[in-house]
Amino acid sequence: MNILVLNCGSSSIKYQLLNIDNKTVLAKGIVEKVGLKGSFLKNENQNGDKVKLEGEVIDHQIGIEYILGVLISKEHGCLGSVKEIDAVGHRMVHGGERFQDSCLITEETIRDFKACIPLAPLHNPANLKGLLAMQHLLPDVPQVAVFDTAFHQTMPDYAYMYAIPYSLYKKYGIRRYGFHGWSHYYVARRACQILKMDMNNSKIITAHLGNGASITAILNGKSVDTSMGLTPVEGLIMGTRTGDMDLGVLTFIMEKEELNLQIANTLVNKHSGMLGITGVSSDMREIETAAETGNERAILGLKMYQYRVKKYIGAYAAAMGGVDLLIFTGGIGENDPVTREETCKGLEYMGIEFDPQKNAGVRSKEVLLSKESSKVKVMTIPTNEELIIVEHTHRIITG
Amino acid sequence: MAEMIIEPIEKYGLSKKDRPKILFSKIGIVGCGSVGQGLAITASKHGIEVIFLELNAELIQHSLDEIKKQLDEEINHWGLTPSEKTAILSRIKGTVKYEDFSDCELVIEAIKSTTRESSLDVRKQVFKNIEKQVTRECIIATNSSTLVVTEMSSELEYNDRCVSLHISSTAPGATVVEVARGLHTSKESYDKVMKFVKLIDKIAIPVIESPGLISVRLFVVLLNEACEVLMEGVSSMECIDNTMRACFNMPLGPFEFADKVGLDKILRWMENLFGEFGISRYVASPMIKKLVRANRLGRATGIGFYTYDQNGKKVIESACCEE
Repeated sequence: MNILVLNCGSSSIKYQLLNIDNKTVLAKGIVEKVGLKGSFLKNENQNGDKVKLEGEVIDHQIGIEYILGVLISKEHGCLGSVKEIDAVGHRMVHGGERFQDSCLITEETIRDFKACIPLAPLHNPANLKGLLAMQHLLPDVPQVAVFDTAFHQTMPDYAYMYAIPYSLYKKYGIRRYGFHGWSHYYVARRACQILKMDMNNSKIITAHLGNGASITAILNGKSVDTSMGLTPVEGLIMGTRTGDMDLGVLTFIMEKEELNLQIANTLVNKHSGMLGITGVSSDMREIETAAETGNERAILGLKMYQYRVKKYIGAYAAAMGGVDLLIFTGGIGENDPVTREETCKGLEYMGIEFDPQKNAGVRSKEVLLSKESSKVKVMTIPTNEELIIVEHTHRIITG
Repeated sequence: MAEMIIEPIEKYGLSKKDRPKILFSKIGIVGCGSVGQGLAITASKHGIEVIFLELNAELIQHSLDEIKKQLDEEINHWGLTPSEKTAILSRIKGTVKYEDFSDCELVIEAIKSTTRESSLDVRKQVFKNIEKQVTRECIIATNSSTLVVTEMSSELEYNDRCVSLHISSTAPGATVVEVARGLHTSKESYDKVMKFVKLIDKIAIPVIESPGLISVRLFVVLLNEACEVLMEGVSSMECIDNTMRACFNMPLGPFEFADKVGLDKILRWMENLFGEFGISRYVASPMIKKLVRANRLGRATGIGFYTYDQNGKKVIESACCEE
């Protein structure tokens, strides 16, 4: 059975075609600059052959048409016809409280999803466009929506509520939802497989450290707390986002700098985080290079970043009454030994014995980073959200 | 790893049907003063390529410098990132030749003019120059609010493609655009322009062609009345502005607003409106005329109703309240 996974952004469409029976990726790629000048599609087939197709891609529907066209083409394709696609799984960003699990796309789910648009006004409309386009192009193929927020729906109310007037929660659904859900879930499950641990009887902390970053407490296989909130600004320090901050700071800046709402939003989302502190870059590699040459702000930025992750590890260990397993994933978590090591420093008191030798030079690999004697295991696992989307899609259509 | 092959995408479509082209991938602007610059930035921010026409290389450079300055200002005030600035600038180019508009889908006239008569003639000529170079489908628009597009387009071969597209120059963040349909404007052209407005993330206000549209017509009367109140000695300029700001939730009072727009421009608006309607409420207050004659045009010249420092900030003692 072949399942196509789609991830539609406002001007991009990422895709991956997987065969569920032998778990192989048949093709993957991206359409970029949808609706803009200079749009193109990049496809990579099973053998690693890459092709870049340039030309106008006016909207998501045409972008998806080209994706299907490439997949069935003689030159670069892997399918005889689009009939060989058995199902489509869509990555959806925000499912609010309505979507506790992945679901088959029907008229009713589309209507309910539309009601979630205000919760993620930038991402949800693009997700919806991709979904409707796919329905139009392959009307007989079942489609499944897999929500980024769904994994975190198991959080208890005292963890997800904000201490704002309750009426605002009722009126707008303002609460913590969390993101990167299936990434946290995948790495936790994968680590348990490798370590032969029972996920349903475990205390796991997963740190997804990428351009966006979040950290999750997983107790007995369920998310019980996560650092991102209603929007992805809360929690850890990120490339260009503040993470946790005194709300008074924002109103103070807005008044002093005479900022309107939209600009305040840009300030906390695009000018802040590591870029804002260091003035060097939002890219961890460049910041580390600058720190090595003695750049004081780069050094400060790194310390702040690591300190924030460490604080959350402590907090989530307290929330779960301990921790058995700590996992790093995401671009930084998978590729940056320095961040992993510094974050784990000084946590011996809680049973983390980090092994710098095992950690050194590890990039994009599944590796155990703690010492044999360590009570708490530490791992790095490359994430694979697409696999979870495929599994959910398969589960739902075979029902 | 295998080398990347590059091919055109068209042959990979599922069906061989004709694909719609991307609407408004490139627009032209004639005249790149403050209004043209604002337009160029807005369009480019939304991924549209912009080519603007100026009289010579020096003016082109000046416009580009001003655009850069405005973007830097936005960066300094946290509204934009440096990489966004680079992307925006890469889409804006200047030219001295109308020929460069040949592949534009919309060309907007935004020239600065002095008197009503000369302005109308110049703009008519600009419209003709544009029409010579563009395709039949191209929309030709004016940003003028007080001159009607029917008159401006009267000498064109196809005047069904002309509309008036008034993007407020007074508030760059304003979310509305007044779109006026002339006598000859076809439904197709009008609908297309409405799509353009949506594309640049603004709300289109449909208006039947009428000098001054909504914004200008209401503002000039307000300013005239404010001048009356001031001249009668009812209150001071600051107090009038304060009152209007506070009571009607305006970001700027009428005098502050007038200084920002430019008193010369306002005077021209009023002359045009009076020329059209012949109603005395559009006759500019002597106070405005006096200031324009003294070249006290507002923020641009550092003095108008108020005095401004080098950074464009209002200094407390004002030009008008000195006596």
